[in-house]
Amino acid sequence: MSHPSAPSSWPFDSVLVANRGEIAVRVLRTVKKLGLRGIVVYHAADRGALAVTMADQAIEITGSTPVAAYLDAAQILAAAKASGAGAIHPGYGFLSENTGFARAVEAAGLVFIGPRPEQIELMGDKVRARNFVEKGGFPVAPSAIEDDDPATFVERARLVGAPLLIKPSAGGGGKGMRIVRDLSLLEGEIERARSEGLRYFGDGRLYVERYIENPRHIEVQVLGDAYGNVVHVFERECSVQRRFQKIVEETPSPALDAALRERICETAAGIARSAGYRNAGTVEFIFGQGGEFYFLEMNTRLQVEHPVTEEITGLDLVHEQLRVAAGETLRLQQHDIRSSGHSIEFRIYAEDPGRGYTPTTGPVLVLHPPQGEGVRWDSGVVQGGEVTSAFDPMIAKLIIRGRDRSDAIARADAALRDTVLLGCKTNTAFLRRLIAHPAFIAGDVHTGFLDANPQIAADPELGEDRLQALLAVAAMSTQPLREGADVIPELHAAIGDWTN
Amino acid sequence: MHHAFKLGDAEHNVALSRGPGVYRLHREGHTVSVTLAALHNGRALLSIGDHSVEVVVATRGDDVFVHLDGEAYQLRYRHPLDRLAASAGGSADDSIRAPMPGSIVAVQVAVGDAVTKGQTLLVMESMKMETTIAAPRDGVIEALSYEKGQTFDRDALLVKLAAAGKA
Repeated sequence: MSHPSAPSSWPFDSVLVANRGEIAVRVLRTVKKLGLRGIVVYHAADRGALAVTMADQAIEITGSTPVAAYLDAAQILAAAKASGAGAIHPGYGFLSENTGFARAVEAAGLVFIGPRPEQIELMGDKVRARNFVEKGGFPVAPSAIEDDDPATFVERARLVGAPLLIKPSAGGGGKGMRIVRDLSLLEGEIERARSEGLRYFGDGRLYVERYIENPRHIEVQVLGDAYGNVVHVFERECSVQRRFQKIVEETPSPALDAALRERICETAAGIARSAGYRNAGTVEFIFGQGGEFYFLEMNTRLQVEHPVTEEITGLDLVHEQLRVAAGETLRLQQHDIRSSGHSIEFRIYAEDPGRGYTPTTGPVLVLHPPQGEGVRWDSGVVQGGEVTSAFDPMIAKLIIRGRDRSDAIARADAALRDTVLLGCKTNTAFLRRLIAHPAFIAGDVHTGFLDANPQIAADPELGEDRLQALLAVAAMSTQPLREGADVIPELHAAIGDWTN
Repeated sequence: MHHAFKLGDAEHNVALSRGPGVYRLHREGHTVSVTLAALHNGRALLSIGDHSVEVVVATRGDDVFVHLDGEAYQLRYRHPLDRLAASAGGSADDSIRAPMPGSIVAVQVAVGDAVTKGQTLLVMESMKMETTIAAPRDGVIEALSYEKGQTFDRDALLVKLAAAGKA
């Protein structure tokens, strides 16, 4: 049904990708599939990257640091002009949620593949976004700010409901915060928080918000066109996080039954609709153990974890982004969008989970991506490349599709086992331990799960057989040992051992 | 001759000798026959005693990287002379190395400065987190390897203190 190439009625026949790494490759794949010309900008640090090889044209940009180059809107616009690009896809991160950049792209007469600048602006300010969503009648976590009306603060705080969190308005770093689980203790706790606020910050003003114990992070993919039509493309569960960053994302969420799934997805679509949202976006919610959920924020771009949504729906979200940006109406109505099976994404990071997830660097001497049915590998890193500290340490995304969740987990374990990357330590072994954990298998995780279970990150004891095998390989691969063995009589070597 | 490999924080002594058609690995009083047959693209078949397992191997400098049974390991060859030098003198405290890759946010000392234990020498940033590098002992700054804004890898030498007694 869908034509492989882009219609000639589109206002652009070339797309410049203002990004790098795996997402530049991902966007270029669809751009090329549609017969459009793909252009990419790159910093010298990415000269050998896959996106640069893949693009029809690659234009070098410079900066005081590699990251600064990708944040330089003027250079990117100049590259677009020089290459005759008709549209710019910002990917995620960098300039993707920069209102000024979106405006500048449009002012240059180019198509920005994303929402309208004012939608980026609205959702980019957390307080403004929260107020907008609340006004629309959508759920935000109940809260009370003392400054709004000090005389009624205690009454309003009571209405927030238990458990609640009292925070000093001037506070930070958790100081002076108090959790109240029994509302009869509220007034006393407010007084204690006030005196702590005064002591730590010289300021006794407070605010109160609902405290969500062991929350989940559940988000919903939405798509809108320029004519007010909005659909959702189901949810993603992203509760497994380290340092507030997602590392495993899946869909469907194991926390939702059909009714709750419908409710959270419709809420997200409603929020996007009320904003007249155009293009792909994601509405994030904090989800409590009792099934309550509240708006957290909206990301006005393609997400890192968008592939799991593609895997269960068969949609190409970048293709949908391009259609909408070209001025087409959404070709899909809500009932056209179906999901089947289960998909899990793993972020393969250059990092050492056993050392507090500190980033690692090194050459990519050998890279064998996993293969097989239901296995997708989105990466911008190739064998012979180098992982440096110049960018985010994400090497690749491993995306698994299975008949159901347990099938997907089994396939994931095999794929992680088969992922070979030598030269730079990665988190693949840690990810295998994580998905073997009973709580993960039960789908019973929350955003603090890894902090509460540090043993998952710890390097396991090395067994004697494995140690011997590793030393044998190392000895056989090291020139001085091989040379020594060739000239030293065996008996001598053995005696050397005894005299050790 | 004995050789050693560092794996994680532990060092392991081994020796290798040549037998008829095989090598022999000597370690902690035991000897076992070993062959390593290269296949393709880093893959190799390791036979050890009467067991065989496929591994993937890559080397760079003194590092041997091994993928074995679903996990990747790094072993670093320790040159016998270096080990001798390390045991003869010179303190690890003289060299302050990067605990993780990152970039320099601030350099708070200069070469020749006298510093006291715990004094902040550098502020580094890695993964959007700032970490301070403090002096491990009293001493004098002998060398600084990086300037503000420069990036470095893990284990890079950041600061060298003059050897104790020289100051």
